[in-house]
Amino acid sequence: MFSGLIFIRPFLFRKGLLVYSIFIINVFNTQWMTNKSKIVISNWLNEYGDELYSWAFYKTSNKEIAEDLVQETFISAFSNYDKFQEKSAPKTWLHSILKNKIIDHYRKKSKEFTISFEEYYNPVKESNSLFNENNRWFDDSGISTQNWLDNPEFNTILSKCKNKLPKNWQFIIQAKYFLDKDSKQICQELEISTSNYWQIMHRAKLLLKKCIEINWVK
Amino acid sequence: MNKMMLSCKKATELVEKNSVIGLSWNENMQLKMHTMMCSACKKYESQSKIIDLVLEKLNSDKSIKQRLSEESKAKIIAEIEKE
Repeated sequence: MFSGLIFIRPFLFRKGLLVYSIFIINVFNTQWMTNKSKIVISNWLNEYGDELYSWAFYKTSNKEIAEDLVQETFISAFSNYDKFQEKSAPKTWLHSILKNKIIDHYRKKSKEFTISFEEYYNPVKESNSLFNENNRWFDDSGISTQNWLDNPEFNTILSKCKNKLPKNWQFIIQAKYFLDKDSKQICQELEISTSNYWQIMHRAKLLLKKCIEINWVK
Repeated sequence: MNKMMLSCKKATELVEKNSVIGLSWNENMQLKMHTMMCSACKKYESQSKIIDLVLEKLNSDKSIKQRLSEESKAKIIAEIEKE
C-alpha cells in the first residue's frame, strides 16, 4: 500500500525525499523489531512458560485462571518489549509482570463477593455461640496442640475446616499467602480496614478451632 | 466487672489483633493478665499460632511442578501474532 506513495511522492516533492526515506526506514525498522521481539518472546515462552505457569497455578489453584494469567503476561511482555531493559534478567521481568497480574486478579475477585445476610450472620452467630452471656468460654477444656505440627492428618482436617468457612472469609485468610504482603498492604489491596481484617480473622479462627476440636481424635 | 479484667471473647480478639497489627502497651498488659489466669484462652493463643503456622506451610508447598500444555503455548503465540 505504501510502495506506490514511496515511489511517486519523492518525485513530486523533492524536498520530501529525506522525510520519506526516514519514514521507509522506520516502517522496516519497526517491522524488524516486532519480528525480533516475537522470536524473543516465544523463546521465553519455551524457557520460562512452565515455571511461570506453576507459580500462577500455585497462587490461584485454578488451571484456567493460571493459563489466562500467563497468557496475559506474555502479551503484555510483547507489547512492552521496548521498555524491557537488558539490565534485568527476562525471568525477573516476566515474574514481576505476572505478580502484578495475580494481584489484579485478586483485587477484582475481592469485589465480586456478594454474600447474603444469612451467609454473613450464621457464621457470626456460630462463633458467638462459643461464649456464654458473660463472654466466657462455654467449654473451657480446649484440646492440646500436641502433634498438630507436621501432621498430615491435622493438615487434612484443617483444610476441610477451612473450606467450610464462608467464601469471603476463606479468601481473606488466604490473601496474605497469595499476595506475599503484610497485613496493612493486604487491607489496602482488598480495600478493608485493618480492624475489619482482624475481626474477620478472629471469627474465622474461632470457627476453625471449633471445627478442629470436633474432628480431631486424640 | 473490673475494667482491667477482660472477657474471654475480648481476650481472643486481642490475640488476633496482636498477630495482625500488634497491641498497645495497655492491651498487651490486659491480655497477659488474662492469659495468666485463664487456661482456656492460653490454649486458644497457642492453637491460633499453630493454625497460622500450618496454614502457612500448606500454602508454601511449591513442590508440585506444573507444565503449560503445548496447546496453550500455541494459543499464546497465536495471540502474540495477532498483535
